[in-house]
Amino acid sequence: MSKHLIPAALLWVVLTAIGEATFLLDWLPVVGSPEAEEWDLIFNVLLAMGIPVFTFVVAALVYAFTNFKTSNDGVETGATFKGTGMFPKVWLVATSALVAVAMVIGLVSLSNLQADKSGYGWGEDQAPLVIETTAQRFSWTFSYKDKNVELLSAKDSELLLPIDTEVKFELNSIDVIHSLWIPAFRMKIDAIPGRTTFLTVEPHKLGSFETDENFRVQCAELCGLNHTIMSMHIRVVEQAEFDAWLASKQAKVSR
Amino acid sequence: MYAATTIGGGLGTGLLSFYLGIGVAALLRTMFGYDAWDRDFNATIGYIFGLVGWLMGVGMWGTWGREWFGLKIKDPHANSRKELGWQRYFMFNVDHKVIGIQYLATFLVVFMTAGLMAMIIRLELMGSGQDFISNKTYNTVLGMHGIMMVAVAVAAVVGGLGNYAVPLMIGADDMAFPRMNALSYWLVPPVAVTLLLSPFLGGLETGWTAYPPLSVLTDSAQTFWNVAIITFGLSSILGGLNFVVTVMFMRAPGMTWGRLPMFVWSMFVTAWLALLYTQGFAVALIMVTLDRIAGMGFFDAERGGDPLLYQHVFWFYSHPAVYIMILPGFGIALEVIGHFSRKPLFAYRYAVGAFLGILGLSGVVWAHHMFTAGIPNYLHGPFLVATELISIPTGLIFLSALGTIWMGKLWLRTPMLFALAVIFNFACGGVTGIFLADVPTDIHLQDTYFVVAHFHYTIVGGEIFGLFAGIYYWFPKMTGKMYNEKLAKLHFWWMFIGFNLTFFIMHWPGIEGMNRRIADYPESLQTANLIVSLSAFLLGSSFIVFIYNFINSWVRGPAAEANPWGARTLEWQTSSPPPVENFLTPPVIAGHPYDYGVPGAAPHVTFFPPAVGSPAGGGGGGQ
Amino acid sequence: MAVIAAHGHGVESHGASHMSPEKRLRVNRVGLWLFFFSESIIFGLLFTSRFFLLGTHQEHVDQFLGLVITIVLLASSVTAYTAETAMEKGNRKLAQWALLGTILLGVVFAVGVGFEWSVAEFGLKLSEEHHQEPQNVVFGTVFFTMTGLHAAHVVSGVGMLVLAFIMLSRGHFSKESHWGISSTIMYWHFVDVVWVFYYPALYLVAG
Ligand code: HEM
Ligand SMILES: [Cu+2]
Ligand SMILES: [Cu+2]
Repeated sequence: MSKHLIPAALLWVVLTAIGEATFLLDWLPVVGSPEAEEWDLIFNVLLAMGIPVFTFVVAALVYAFTNFKTSNDGVETGATFKGTGMFPKVWLVATSALVAVAMVIGLVSLSNLQADKSGYGWGEDQAPLVIETTAQRFSWTFSYKDKNVELLSAKDSELLLPIDTEVKFELNSIDVIHSLWIPAFRMKIDAIPGRTTFLTVEPHKLGSFETDENFRVQCAELCGLNHTIMSMHIRVVEQAEFDAWLASKQAKVSR
Repeated sequence: MYAATTIGGGLGTGLLSFYLGIGVAALLRTMFGYDAWDRDFNATIGYIFGLVGWLMGVGMWGTWGREWFGLKIKDPHANSRKELGWQRYFMFNVDHKVIGIQYLATFLVVFMTAGLMAMIIRLELMGSGQDFISNKTYNTVLGMHGIMMVAVAVAAVVGGLGNYAVPLMIGADDMAFPRMNALSYWLVPPVAVTLLLSPFLGGLETGWTAYPPLSVLTDSAQTFWNVAIITFGLSSILGGLNFVVTVMFMRAPGMTWGRLPMFVWSMFVTAWLALLYTQGFAVALIMVTLDRIAGMGFFDAERGGDPLLYQHVFWFYSHPAVYIMILPGFGIALEVIGHFSRKPLFAYRYAVGAFLGILGLSGVVWAHHMFTAGIPNYLHGPFLVATELISIPTGLIFLSALGTIWMGKLWLRTPMLFALAVIFNFACGGVTGIFLADVPTDIHLQDTYFVVAHFHYTIVGGEIFGLFAGIYYWFPKMTGKMYNEKLAKLHFWWMFIGFNLTFFIMHWPGIEGMNRRIADYPESLQTANLIVSLSAFLLGSSFIVFIYNFINSWVRGPAAEANPWGARTLEWQTSSPPPVENFLTPPVIAGHPYDYGVPGAAPHVTFFPPAVGSPAGGGGGGQ
Repeated sequence: MAVIAAHGHGVESHGASHMSPEKRLRVNRVGLWLFFFSESIIFGLLFTSRFFLLGTHQEHVDQFLGLVITIVLLASSVTAYTAETAMEKGNRKLAQWALLGTILLGVVFAVGVGFEWSVAEFGLKLSEEHHQEPQNVVFGTVFFTMTGLHAAHVVSGVGMLVLAFIMLSRGHFSKESHWGISSTIMYWHFVDVVWVFYYPALYLVAG
C-alpha cells in the first residue's frame, strides 16, 4: 500500500506548492481601507487552508486515474477493504478540526465587525462623518449629515470621502431592495425599505475611479430595469481638500 | 394517433377551462364591485382552471377523476402497451419507466433551451458596454435561464433517472402511487409553457429569486411566473412523497436499509427534502401573489410588512433545494464509482450517515444567503457555524469516493469519467463555499460573480455532471441500445474542459469587483469576461456532440446486453429495456450491492424461482 | 390540491399489482399522513410569519364569533369520527347521517368565517379616517391569509364530504372497503387540528 501512498503524497505536495505559489502574485483588488486589509488577510488564510484540501482531492483522483485504471472490461476486481476500520474516524476528526479552524477565524473577525449586536450592519456605532444614504430605482442620494450637503448619483459625478476618517453610511430605500457595495473597501450592505442598515469604513488610501475602478459605489442587489447602471464613482481625498470641497458645496446651497 | 388525442385533449380542455376561469374571475370581480378586468387577477384564476382542465383532458379524468364520482375508469395501464411505440411517451402513462423517460426528455429540452440563454448572456457580457440586447431583455433572459436551470437541477435527476431506476433498483414493479407519479409529470408542461411565454407576457425583472418589493411592484409577467413555479413546487412535493413511500414500502424481500444502493439512498433523502421544504418557495410566492393581486401587505414596509420575511421563507426552501440538487449528483457518483472501481464501496455506512446528516442540517442554515441583507447582527454567528458544520458530512462523501477508487481496478468508461468529475468539481465548489460561509469574507463576495462561480461548480459540476454520468450509465437499460463510446468520451472531455475554464476563471472577476445580474461592467473587467465568454461557448458547443450521440444511438445504436457493465445491482438483472412489470420473477436480495471481489460474498440478487433468461448469478462474487 | 391528493390515495389500486389490499391500505395511509405533514409546513410557515411580522400584537376581533365557529368545527370532528366508526361497524345509515351533520357544521363554519371577514375592523389599506395604521393593515393581511387558506381547506373538505355522502347513498363503499370515506375524514380531522393552532394565534394571544 505504501508503494502508492508515497508517490501520491508527493503529488499532493507538488500540487499544493503550485497552488500556494499563487500568493507570489498580487492579484487581489486595490486595498482602500483597513476593512479591506482585514478582508484580504482572512481571505488569504482561508485560501491557504483551502488549497491543500482541494489538491488533496485532486492528487488522489489523478493518482488513481493514472495508476489504478484497467482496460480489461471490468473483469478484474480490486482490493476488498471496506472502510470499516479506523480511517473514517480519523478523517472525521481531521475534517472537523479544519472546519473548526475556519469557524473560529470567521467568528473572531465577525465580532470585530459588530459593535452593535442588535443593529443591522457592519462596524462602529458612532463615526465622525455620517452619510445618510437613500437608494431608489435607479439612483443614490448621499447626504452628509449635519453638513447640509447632498449628492445625487444621477447628477453629481463623484462621492468625496476624506482619508483616515471613519465614515458611516446609514442606508434606507424608498422602493425596492438595493445594496451598497464599495469593492475597494470590501464592504457591502443592503438598503431595505422599512429599516435602517449601516456600514462603516475608514479609507486609508487616496484614490478615485480613474486610478482604480473599484473606487465606486455599486448597487449589488438586482433592483430592476437599470440595476446595471446604479453606481457612482468615489474619490478619497486629503482632509483639507475635503473640507474645502464641502465648504464650496455648502456655499452653493446657501446661495 | 393516440398521442395527438392525449395532447390535443389536454390542450382543448385546458384552454376552454382557462377562458372559463377568466370569465368566472370577471364575474366575481363585478359581483364584489371591482372592475371586471385585472390582468393578473383574472389570469391567475384562469390559470388555475386551465391547469385542472389540462390535467383532466390529458388523461386524469378517464383514469382517475371518474372514480371520485363512482364511475368506471379506464385501465391506467392501457397506455403502457409496447405496440404503441414512441407514442407511449406522449400519453398519460403510469409506468415509472415511461414517466422517467418523459421527465428526462422534457428536462433535457429545458436544459438545452436554458443553455442557449446562457450563451446570449455571455454574448452580452463578452465586451463592456451595451452591445447586444437591452437591459429589459437581459433581465428577462437572465431570469429565465436561472429558473429553468433550477427546475432542471431539481427535477431532471429525481424525476428522470430516479423514476426510472429507483423501482428497478429496489425490486419493485412500480412506484407506490403510479397515477400520482404521472400527475407529477403532467404538471410540468404547463409550467414550461408559461415560463417560455413570459417574454411575451411582459418579461421578467427579478431573477430566479423574485425578491419583493421588486417582485410586488414590477409590471412584468411576475404573477404568471409565480403560479407556474407554485405548480412546479406541487409537482416536486408529490414526487417527493411518492419516492419516500416507495422506498419505505416497496423494497424486495431482503433489501434491508443496509443493502440499499447509494443512488436509492440519495433519492430517499432528496425526496424527504423536497417533501419538507418545497412549501417554503410556494408560501413565499403565494404571499407575493397575494400582495400583487389581493392588495395584501406582507412585504410593504409602509403598511407594516417586512421585505425580509420573504427572504427567510424563500431560503428556508432554497437552501435545502441546493441539496435537492447535489445529493442526487453524489448518489450517482458513488453508485457509478462503486461499480466501475470493481471494489466494495468504501465506508458505505459513513456515506449514508453523510446523507442523513445533510438532511438534518440543511434546514438550519438558510440565512447564509442573507448575510448582507440587513438581518439582525446576532443571527450571523449561529448561521455561520451551522453552515460550516455541513462541510463535515459533505467531507464524508469524498472519503467514500476516494477510498473506493483507491486500489480499485478503475474501468474508465464514460459514466465513470463523469462520476470522477463530480468529485473533482465539487471539491472546488465545496472549498469556495467556505469563503461564502465565513461572514467576513462573504460581505465582499455576496452577490458577485464569485457566488455565481461557486454555485455553478456545485450545481453544474456536481449535479449536472452526475446527471450525465447517470444518462450514460443507464442509457443501455433505458433504450436497449448502446451509445457510441468514442463520441461520449469526446463529449466528456469537451464539457469538462469547457466547464472548468469557464467557471474557474469566473471567480476572478467576482473578487475583482463584478457583481452579478448586470448587463455591463467597468472596463477593467474586460479581459476576464472575454475569456469567460469564450470558454462558455466552448462549454455550450460540447452538447452538440451529446445530442447527436444520444439521438443517433437511440435510433441506430447496437443492441445493448442486459448487463453491459457487469454490475451487481438489480436493475441490471433484467432485460434491457425491462418488461412492463420489471422482473419476470420476483427478486430476492441476498447480499450487499458493492461486494465486488469479496471472497464468499453472496450475490446481491437471486431470483426465486430462478429467472429464465436473466444473466446468471446476478453479477455475484468476482464477476 | 388537497382534493386530488386525498382522493388520489383513496383509489390508488391499479399500479403496484403485487400489493395485497392490506398493504395497499397501509401505504395509502402513510402517503396521506405524509401529505398532511407537508401541508402542515405550509400552515406552519404562515403561522410563523404572523409572529415574525407582529409579535403577539393583535387587533380587535369578534371573540364571541370566534368561539362559536371554533366549537362548531370541533363538533364537526366528533360527527366525522362517528361516521368513520359507523362505517367500520357497517352501519351505513348512521354513517350517512353523521356525514350529513359534518357537512352542515362545515358549511356553518365557512359562513362564519365569511361573516367575520365582512365585519372585520381592520382592512388592507392605510386610512386616517378609518383609523387604519400599519399595524391594522398587517394584521389584516395575516388574518385574511391565514383564515382564507384554512377556509379554502374547509370548503374543499366539504366538497369531498359531499362526494362521499352521495356515493355512500348510492350504495358504494362497504364495511370492509371504504378508504374513500376514511381518507376524507382523516383530511377533515387534519383541517380541524390546524384550526386548533390558528384560533389562539389569531384570537387569543394578546389575552
Ligand atoms: C451542496 C452543494 C451546494 C450547492 C448546490 C450550493 C449552491 C449554492 C447556490 C445556488 C448559492 C447562491 C444563491 C444565490 O445567491 O442565488 C449558494 C450560495 C452559497 N453557498 Fe452554496 N452550495 C453548495 C454547497 C455549499 C457548501 C458546502 C457551502 C459551505 C460550506 C456553501 C455555502 C454557500 C453560501 C454561504 C452561499 C451564500 C453566498 C452568497 O450569496 O454570498 N454552499 N450556494
Ligand atoms: Cu439598485
Ligand atoms: Cu445555501
